Amino acid sequence: MAERNKRGRSGGGREARQAARSEPVTQGVPYITRKVPVYEVLDEEGLALIENNAETILQEIGVEFRGDVEALQIWKTAGADINSERVRIPRGLCKNLIQDNAPAEFTQHARNPERNVRIGGKNTVLVPAYGSPFVRDLEKGRRYATLEDFQNFVKLAYSTPYLHHSGGTICEPVDLPVNKRHFDMVYTHMRYSDKPFMGSVTAPERAQDTVDMAKVLFGKEFVKKNTVIVSLINANSPLVWDSTMLGALKVYARNNQACVVSPFCIAGAMSPVTVAATAAQLYAEALSGMAFAQLVRPGAPVIFGTFSSSMSMQSGAPTFGTPEPQLVLYIVAALARRLGVPFRSGGGLNSGKIADAQAAYEAANTLQHAMLAGVNFMLHTAGWLEGGLSMGYEKFIMDIDQAGMMHEFMKGVDLSENGLALDAIREVGPGQHYLGCDHTRTNFETAFFRSSVADNNSFEQWEVDGSLDTAQRANKIWHKMLDDYEMPAMDPAVDEALLAFIQQRKESFPDANY
Amino acid sequence: MSEEQDLIEEDEELDLSTLPDDELVLQMHDDLYDGLKEEIEEGTNILLSRGWSPDKVLSEALVEGMRIVGIDFRDGILFVPEVLLSANSMKGGMGILRPLLAETGAPPLGKAVIGTVKGDIHDIGKNLVGMMWEGAGFEVVDIGINNPVENYLEAIEEHKPDILGMSALLTTTMPYMKVVIDELGNQGIRDDLIVLVGGAPLNEEFGLAIGADAYCRDAAVAVETASSMITQRRESTPAIPQAAA
Repeated sequence: MAERNKRGRSGGGREARQAARSEPVTQGVPYITRKVPVYEVLDEEGLALIENNAETILQEIGVEFRGDVEALQIWKTAGADINSERVRIPRGLCKNLIQDNAPAEFTQHARNPERNVRIGGKNTVLVPAYGSPFVRDLEKGRRYATLEDFQNFVKLAYSTPYLHHSGGTICEPVDLPVNKRHFDMVYTHMRYSDKPFMGSVTAPERAQDTVDMAKVLFGKEFVKKNTVIVSLINANSPLVWDSTMLGALKVYARNNQACVVSPFCIAGAMSPVTVAATAAQLYAEALSGMAFAQLVRPGAPVIFGTFSSSMSMQSGAPTFGTPEPQLVLYIVAALARRLGVPFRSGGGLNSGKIADAQAAYEAANTLQHAMLAGVNFMLHTAGWLEGGLSMGYEKFIMDIDQAGMMHEFMKGVDLSENGLALDAIREVGPGQHYLGCDHTRTNFETAFFRSSVADNNSFEQWEVDGSLDTAQRANKIWHKMLDDYEMPAMDPAVDEALLAFIQQRKESFPDANY
Repeated sequence: MSEEQDLIEEDEELDLSTLPDDELVLQMHDDLYDGLKEEIEEGTNILLSRGWSPDKVLSEALVEGMRIVGIDFRDGILFVPEVLLSANSMKGGMGILRPLLAETGAPPLGKAVIGTVKGDIHDIGKNLVGMMWEGAGFEVVDIGINNPVENYLEAIEEHKPDILGMSALLTTTMPYMKVVIDELGNQGIRDDLIVLVGGAPLNEEFGLAIGADAYCRDAAVAVETASSMITQRRESTPAIPQAAA
């Protein structure tokens, strides 16, 4: 060995090249900054019509704020008309509250400052899927998720350069008591990853626990002044906010932490069957939630969220990756830009049961439309199966491959001298090939996106390699990622303090499954 | 005259009372299929006025009509909004028959109490199941959303249902179904009821693990399961009053 080390040039020969080429070139960025324009489907007149109808919905029909007396009082003071739990809001009030107070962009801090994400404007943050009770992989099939699965997905999201965020309820660890599982989930995000993460929303006290754990991790003063948690607050369309979600929203807003204020809407059942009506209702719901956050604490960061799907009118099942919700997504993205707040939507949504062609093409449909629409915070980017009921290990790998492609696409077109490459065209001339010219030799390694999942070989080569389909290839990749995973370092004193906090809190009340 | 006017004329001309029994029953199957509530109520009254027993009207006209609706719903020919109209028409016919059936002492098709569990306010799926059960001729008591165990116990005490249906959409609320079932056990009334559970995050394994009789993956299955379990139960239960006498 000592003799071999004496030999060698700067190129490094076979060994160096093998090491460099065994993995696709991945230059991690903390988030995507788009250089490709957004796409829109409605003109000024169309968007104004939807905005006007949303104001009519708020003023005439109103929104219910259920089970939260304080919320009704807050709205009353703000000038809304309260009838029982129905809140009718004067035209323009929500819009003014949001535009006067909510930040157009904000930074969510990670424990590793290099992983901080800028949410809003031309930026896109890609986030894993959220909320599945089940997980699925090729070996063990479909089963309820456990804490181990949750940890695995946090590790996978940490290991890929194409997701910028650790996510939230990546899957639901149903092996843990309902009233205590949030401690383990939040801790897993904090300890197994150093990317930013989302907090618990299933009860106000669980939201407070999340904030308190963030204070241990980041320091009290830091949390007071900075956004370190983004959390998902869903409306119950049509036109209802419930006490659980309002309770969590109030905790986060008061602590100056961000909320994704998100109507969850399956058109046909939860909104009218038409695109324009669904967009207007979603906008009205989001306006009322974001304005409420501003009333709770002026300036609290909010993200305008929408989760839009349609329903199979034959069976009642939600459908994904279909054309109509994409049109809704484009409209609502434009409305968010006009309002001046960050926008959340999209993701690898699909109804596939396994990581098959349906899962892949429906997911691709949503991911690409969402990128073109200008989504800033893309929840559900990776892993989603079965309308969100299942988190797929193989599907996760397929989706992050798509996420990688979106990174490249959003870089746009290089118009520099190197990008234009007139010299290369001069050098090669008619009838020759470019494989050996200077320009190619300088650029080939990073010129094209290299998929880690797709197989582009000849049929014969593919057969020799074992005739593996996409899911089988993805299966090998996630196993390798978990095998190679290395836990990011953490100050042992902070880790001890977090664990002590969790232990003390867990011991302070009995386990319960509700 | 336009085609549309033609159609209206034709409909106006159809007088249910002029149809012989066999054709009227077939017409009622079509009217159930098309979700025509008033026509179903009218047809029900005509058959009764011709001396049909309430349970014959029920089984031959209404239940058979809804059986056909169920098949075409399953096969994707009928859409959800159409099936809801059919179910609502069935409910109209049942409104007339139920008191008469009670008088004759015939056992009702089934009675169900249904509700979403504590902590959960999602009810679209639960409402669908309730309407489909009504469509199958059951009497349905819907106790709404966010129900603690006490609400279920009160409703069971008051209505004495054959079936208790529980629903949850959230992984954080579905374990509460077990709380309810355990309490039914503590009260000694678990075996008096068929307990059916449903909701997106559930599966069969979970349903059995918490002690439910069945997990129903969708509204159509909820109807099939409820019907077959009630039949099974009645067949396996000896006629106690006679034995006692």
